[in-house]
Amino acid sequence: MRARLSVFVCALCIPLATGSAQQKRDSMAGMDHMHMPGMKHDSAGMPIPMPAGMPMIPGLVGLVPPGGTFLPGAGVQVARLPAAKPTQVVRLGNGDTLDLTAMLVRRTIRGRDFAMYGFNGEVPGPLIRVPQNATIVVRFHNRIDLPSAVHWHGVRLDNRSDGAPGVTQEPVAPGGSFVYSVHFPDAGLYWYHPHVREDVEQAMGLFGNMIVDSPLADYYAPANSEHVMLLDDLLINADSLIPFGADGPDFALMGRVGNVQLVNGEPGYMLRVKRGEVARFYLTNTASSRTYNVSFGGTPVKVVASDESRFEREELVPSVVLAPAERYVVDVRFARPGRYAIVNAVQAINHYKGEFEPEVDTLGFVTVDDAPAKPDYARAFATLRANRAVTNEIDRFRKYFDKAPDKQLTLSVQTTGLPLATVQFMTIDTAYFAPVEWIDGMPDMNWLSTSKQVRWILRDDATGKENMDIDWHVSRGSVVKLRIFNDPKSFHPMQHPIHLHGQRMLVVARDGVPTRNQVWKDTALIPVGSTVDLLIDASNPGDWMLHCHIAEHLGAGMMAVLHVD
Amino acid sequence: MTGVSAPYCHPEERSDEGSAFRVDRKSRFLASLGMTGMALLIAAGPYDIPLFATPKAPAANGAARLVFAQSPFGIAVTADGHAQYDVQITVSRLPAPSSLGAFRSYVAWATTPDLQRWDRLGAITNGTTTVGHVALNKFLLVITAESDSAPRTHAGPTVLHGTSPSGWLQSFLNHPMFRGITG
Repeated sequence: MRARLSVFVCALCIPLATGSAQQKRDSMAGMDHMHMPGMKHDSAGMPIPMPAGMPMIPGLVGLVPPGGTFLPGAGVQVARLPAAKPTQVVRLGNGDTLDLTAMLVRRTIRGRDFAMYGFNGEVPGPLIRVPQNATIVVRFHNRIDLPSAVHWHGVRLDNRSDGAPGVTQEPVAPGGSFVYSVHFPDAGLYWYHPHVREDVEQAMGLFGNMIVDSPLADYYAPANSEHVMLLDDLLINADSLIPFGADGPDFALMGRVGNVQLVNGEPGYMLRVKRGEVARFYLTNTASSRTYNVSFGGTPVKVVASDESRFEREELVPSVVLAPAERYVVDVRFARPGRYAIVNAVQAINHYKGEFEPEVDTLGFVTVDDAPAKPDYARAFATLRANRAVTNEIDRFRKYFDKAPDKQLTLSVQTTGLPLATVQFMTIDTAYFAPVEWIDGMPDMNWLSTSKQVRWILRDDATGKENMDIDWHVSRGSVVKLRIFNDPKSFHPMQHPIHLHGQRMLVVARDGVPTRNQVWKDTALIPVGSTVDLLIDASNPGDWMLHCHIAEHLGAGMMAVLHVD
Repeated sequence: MTGVSAPYCHPEERSDEGSAFRVDRKSRFLASLGMTGMALLIAAGPYDIPLFATPKAPAANGAARLVFAQSPFGIAVTADGHAQYDVQITVSRLPAPSSLGAFRSYVAWATTPDLQRWDRLGAITNGTTTVGHVALNKFLLVITAESDSAPRTHAGPTVLHGTSPSGWLQSFLNHPMFRGITG
């Protein structure tokens, strides 16, 4: 099974392409549900935790997803694994070398030990801190029980080192190694993670941050302290991890949404600061599927930067929305002593009752001591800076903002062989879909859907080609306008965080409304029913993946390749 | 058809025949109209609100479109997670407000389904006007004639109204799929 997976992981197009030939297509998204090949009943019952007040659909009780299951470290005594260590900061200069090893670790969460993964035994992996324009060498060693690779998310590096098996390299087999040369042309916050069965490897702990420091001392406004927060969630039932699909992702409809909130790999984030302290948070959403709406105890948050650059203008906001893979750099000033809850607050939909319900998950707390922070950056924090350098650089792209799209994609889904109860429920539930599904309000249906039954689609409007059949070539140095429409009339529309490797892009308009405050991005959220215009600075030659960063959607085919010639 | 309309029929208007209900012609027509209207609403898309005229301005018609408010993020939401929209309202054939009484303006409101909370969005005229923000999960969009363009409360007659797409969220409490479950 592992060997077969190794071919596809990133581009698992072969099994899906074979299956797709048998799938039907129609305006309600190619449903063919009259049979359930491989669907099995499990007398042990369903291990999936349901949201409070949301019953399981009786027609699904006892079913389990088709195919086998997988958990890391099968046959290994968990107690003998090394305990996961906290993240270490690794400062590297130009030409330095880092050995990065993916390995099994023991993590203790809510008092239970689990066999999971870590880079160099750390969860999250080492925080790599480098100066802008540095090039480092990373010797990656795969010591886990799956093939793997490392993708340097957001970094505009040499194509060979992008870490996208099926496109830029072969997967690294267990026991194998691969050498990456990682060049950092842009200051900012980045992250690294596998591009092989991300639904498993990333979810089990293989991720880490990179901070690229600008040579400019005033690149950001002054802050008293800096804190990295990698947001993640983990799905467990009473006593174990919910297993993963052996041959491909389960939870293929909505992606795996965890029920334990983690910050830097641990529940219950705690931070202690001084009164008046300006704390800089480097936020990264490493979750498979969850979109966050994070606030800091009602304190205004200053948004400074996102994926690939600073914003043109800093803004004060009440909360920060992060789709999977997105990053934001924010400053928060804790003016008064006390305890501030960091929460993820959303309006969830209870599909059973047909109602919205507020849901608030506490990610952690910031305790503010009475002693004053020194120096006092209150005045600097109150100043919203205009980053002239960012605006000047974007100015040369503005003439392209209103041009006709060069490429157009429609996002959709096809399904086959889902349980009849799922089909019934979802067919009559299509009267309304929220722009963003913040929680998994239907975990029973979601769990039972696998990448064998669900095929998420990027469709080229011009040719009708889908996913890896799309063959886009653009010239190096061209500016490409890509319009993406997320079809709300598909069988199960859902938001998609679309990520483009190796380039940078601007979100120039959403639903025809121009974006007023630009920032360079590598991942853009496309809500249900929305049309988003992206302007791609196609300056980095090579073959680059374009895909949904919900790990299970990627594993269910939602990917294409952009060739920059 | 019968299965859809039956729960909404007055008991005197139906007679049991086996497990199905029989409805009179008027109920059937109204139910059919309702289903058509719902189908149109669904077809309109997740950000569109068709507006319906009241007898106060029977010739008026219009539609509204919800557009995400400007935000540095991929979607505009409040700190507690409510989506934040600007509302683009396009109307035509609204009569002069003064033709309805001592009124000078038409004003758009967003109100919760229980009508307890009314948020003034702004004054509108024939043509397209963008007003905002709305940050409610489910709401009704109501256009009233008012004595000025920024009244504190709604007081004049309603001329157009519509329901947010989220208002079409359905309860499955009584669906046969969940039969026997008390939730």
